[in-house]
Amino acid sequence: MFFIEAITALPPDDAAQGPAVVVALEFDGDPAGVFRMSLARAAAALIAADFLGEDTASLAGPQVDEVAKELANMICGAVLSRIESSATFRLSAPDIIARSEPALHGAFPRNTCTVETGNGLLTAGIDMVTRTCSPTTRSAS
Amino acid sequence: MAYRVLITDDSPAMRSFVRRVIELSGFELSHCYEAGDGEEALALLRREWVDAILTDINMPVLDGEELLRRLAADEMLRSVPAIVISTDATENRISRLLSLGARGYVTKPFRPETLRAELERILGVPVD
Repeated sequence: MFFIEAITALPPDDAAQGPAVVVALEFDGDPAGVFRMSLARAAAALIAADFLGEDTASLAGPQVDEVAKELANMICGAVLSRIESSATFRLSAPDIIARSEPALHGAFPRNTCTVETGNGLLTAGIDMVTRTCSPTTRSAS
Repeated sequence: MAYRVLITDDSPAMRSFVRRVIELSGFELSHCYEAGDGEEALALLRREWVDAILTDINMPVLDGEELLRRLAADEMLRSVPAIVISTDATENRISRLLSLGARGYVTKPFRPETLRAELERILGVPVD
């Protein structure tokens, strides 16, 4: 569906540099958490063009955003299907949280993976929310 | 025979993609309708006959699970087969949706031939 191939996996510190589309979504489940994806703008445009069957020149910004959100949705869903395979999770609607500045190291989840797409970097990260106590011990008598 | 299909997804990009995939896969499509959520889908189904429904799960207003429940509860619409297209590939979710009446399940990302095969399977299209 998305005609990209990871050329190489990169160390976690090499998160997307340069203008990037950043998508965020939350998920409910056991555990719950947050997912972030940062995708270099050039890569986002090419991926959107392939996905929609259009030329990059004819694409509008919202179309690129829409496809980026869908890509984030699929990556997060695929990851969660593997790590929460016996549970049921629910994804929130993806949101675009940045379209230009890449300085997101502070805001990005701790568990990340960065790949070079051939047209810029894609970084995906996930953070789980840890329960402070088990559901059976929540209510104090 | 050419078929009428309804695509239900809150993402316009995804609806456009699924429509294009169906057309390019060689599936015999006579008409392709689109809806942005389950409520729109039900309203359209009361006006137009379709042979199959392709639906996302996470949608605003009326989500895919509730859409499946309402289709199953409707005397006229329960015979229209629905295929769920979702990112969730867990056994729990797939079993749950099949028990709600979904006749097929396609996990995103998917290949065009996978979607076509699932459509042809639920519609009973003879295999060449």
